[in-house]
Amino acid sequence: MAVYKRTYAAYQGSFTPAWSRFLILPRYSFARLWQSRFLVMFFMACFFYPLGCVGYIYLANNLSILSSFGIPEPLGNVLKVQPSLFLYFCWVQAAFTYLLTAFVGPSLISPDLVNGAMPLYLCRPFSRTEYIAGKMSVLVFLLSLVTWVPGLILFVIQASLAGWEWTKANLWIAGSLFIGFTVWILMLSLLALALSAWIKWKIAAGGLVLGVFFAGAGFGTALNSVMRTQYGTLLNLTEVMFTIWSKLFRWPEDTGISVEASWICVGVVCATCLWLLVRRVRAFEVVK
Amino acid sequence: MISRWFSQVALVVSLEMRKTFFSRRGLWVYLLALAPVLIWFMHSMIELNLRKERQALNAAHPVSTALLRSIERGATIDEVVAKVGEPFTKNEFHRPNISVAVYQYTDGDNVFAFQFRDDKLMNINERDRDTIPKDSLIFASVFQFFYLRLAIFFGCVGVFTNLFRGEMLDKSLHFYLLTPIRREILAIGKYFAGLIATVVIFCTSTFLQLAALSLHFTGSEISEYLAGPGWGHVASYLGVTAAACVGYGSIFLAAGLLFKNPIVPAATVLVWEGMNMFLPAALKKVSVIFYLQSLSPVVAPPDAKMPALQKLLVTAAEPVPAAWALLGLLTLTIVVLAVAARKARKLEINYSTD
Repeated sequence: MAVYKRTYAAYQGSFTPAWSRFLILPRYSFARLWQSRFLVMFFMACFFYPLGCVGYIYLANNLSILSSFGIPEPLGNVLKVQPSLFLYFCWVQAAFTYLLTAFVGPSLISPDLVNGAMPLYLCRPFSRTEYIAGKMSVLVFLLSLVTWVPGLILFVIQASLAGWEWTKANLWIAGSLFIGFTVWILMLSLLALALSAWIKWKIAAGGLVLGVFFAGAGFGTALNSVMRTQYGTLLNLTEVMFTIWSKLFRWPEDTGISVEASWICVGVVCATCLWLLVRRVRAFEVVK
Repeated sequence: MISRWFSQVALVVSLEMRKTFFSRRGLWVYLLALAPVLIWFMHSMIELNLRKERQALNAAHPVSTALLRSIERGATIDEVVAKVGEPFTKNEFHRPNISVAVYQYTDGDNVFAFQFRDDKLMNINERDRDTIPKDSLIFASVFQFFYLRLAIFFGCVGVFTNLFRGEMLDKSLHFYLLTPIRREILAIGKYFAGLIATVVIFCTSTFLQLAALSLHFTGSEISEYLAGPGWGHVASYLGVTAAACVGYGSIFLAAGLLFKNPIVPAATVLVWEGMNMFLPAALKKVSVIFYLQSLSPVVAPPDAKMPALQKLLVTAAEPVPAAWALLGLLTLTIVVLAVAARKARKLEINYSTD
């Protein structure tokens, strides 16, 4: 038996701190994501509505500009910055975020599973939790950039134009924006990762992300019409979130379901997705 | 030459049938198609149970429909009880300044709720049992807003994009491309295979939905409906389902050939079809759903929960006659298939990028 010279030597350099190891995954994921021109264009398109809102806030706080354009005073008085502006901001940006998730989410885990790369990640000092956190942070960071970050910028712009009294009275809007979008991003990210982990074909996983929202909403409405109930709305995740946002923004909006039921629905979706993820993200795979 | 092309198309169809009907990747299409059947079946079961319950209540508290309908607002509780007897349910609320009572009666089919305030009949709420016209309106809404726009749409996305992209994923498309058949024949053969699968799956579902819907009606009601517009409606719904598969199928076959990621065109088409009601009349015609709605036998009522601002944006367009609708849909399909066939002619495979 031939004995070769042992050339292996343990790594002598410095280790990445344990707490920040999960950030290695988003670093490479982002480098790959930004190569897609379509994604870059779509990402830019996500900022059109916030820019429109900036214009609205500016006009609402500078009515004299409208009168200089010959627009009568009563019409100018219609322009008011109310909590509903931020609620509809959530609604519009949410539509962009689930399209963004459908494009980005499926390519996060499925390639690792298809190509058998999971053992390569998990044989290193890198736990499953860190793997999931790393993959999830890609979506969390990307979706935050188009949701609560521009939302808070809008709030700051309004606060700077309207003054301290308005800011003091409406500080809760900033909190609502942050909490509302955080819950939405968490649910979207977990859903996209779970589908990406269970459906190996990333195109099908992307289609399913869209399907969960569109077909779920349609099926829920069909259920409501046929069974004369309101519980079908719980299958419409956008409507479920809108109920939660309406409560957070203190806006009376009757979606037919209670806020408690909506929170429970979000909790059940997140827990199910997390369970699916944990079952799938393993260092081994049993092939039958 | 033409007969050889036909036999080649038939051969491709026969090869594809197994893959489209029984592939594990396509099982969810069956779930999507059968989900509305489940809803209608549950609805019928609930209605049947409710009717049994009402008939039992009516047997215990017998009263006729004519007698219940003869009661007018302003009557006192004693007058009502003297006329129609004791109710099957009685709810009374007494407060220092007001007393409210709700008496419920049934004639075996409908439920009448008499609401009294301070011993005076203020309101009569009649909950009629489901009738075929009422259910056919609900069916039209579910059919047009859920089944056509979402279930068949996503089903076609799954089946037709898989015809070429699925082969790419399985790294088996080169076997087809090495055979001595024209690429256009391959594309058309695959299209017909997908079309047969979707038409069979979704038309069966439509028929089962109608069957499940009719479960809670009596034999005489169903015979009366079928003797009238019934068979026409059934045929129209089946026809519209098949037409939807024809239209959407061609679009997604082309999407599978033209785009590496067919989700982008699928999302675009979904948004375009969804905003059809807000488009001007000329643009409405550049969609599949416009022709499908024109072919539908019952006009679905608009969504009652639609915000007022959105209602203002809805534009009305005269539905085109059935023949024109079919012609429009076929033209759209042929144009899209021609583009797909042209793309298939220059198709190159690079498995490593998929």
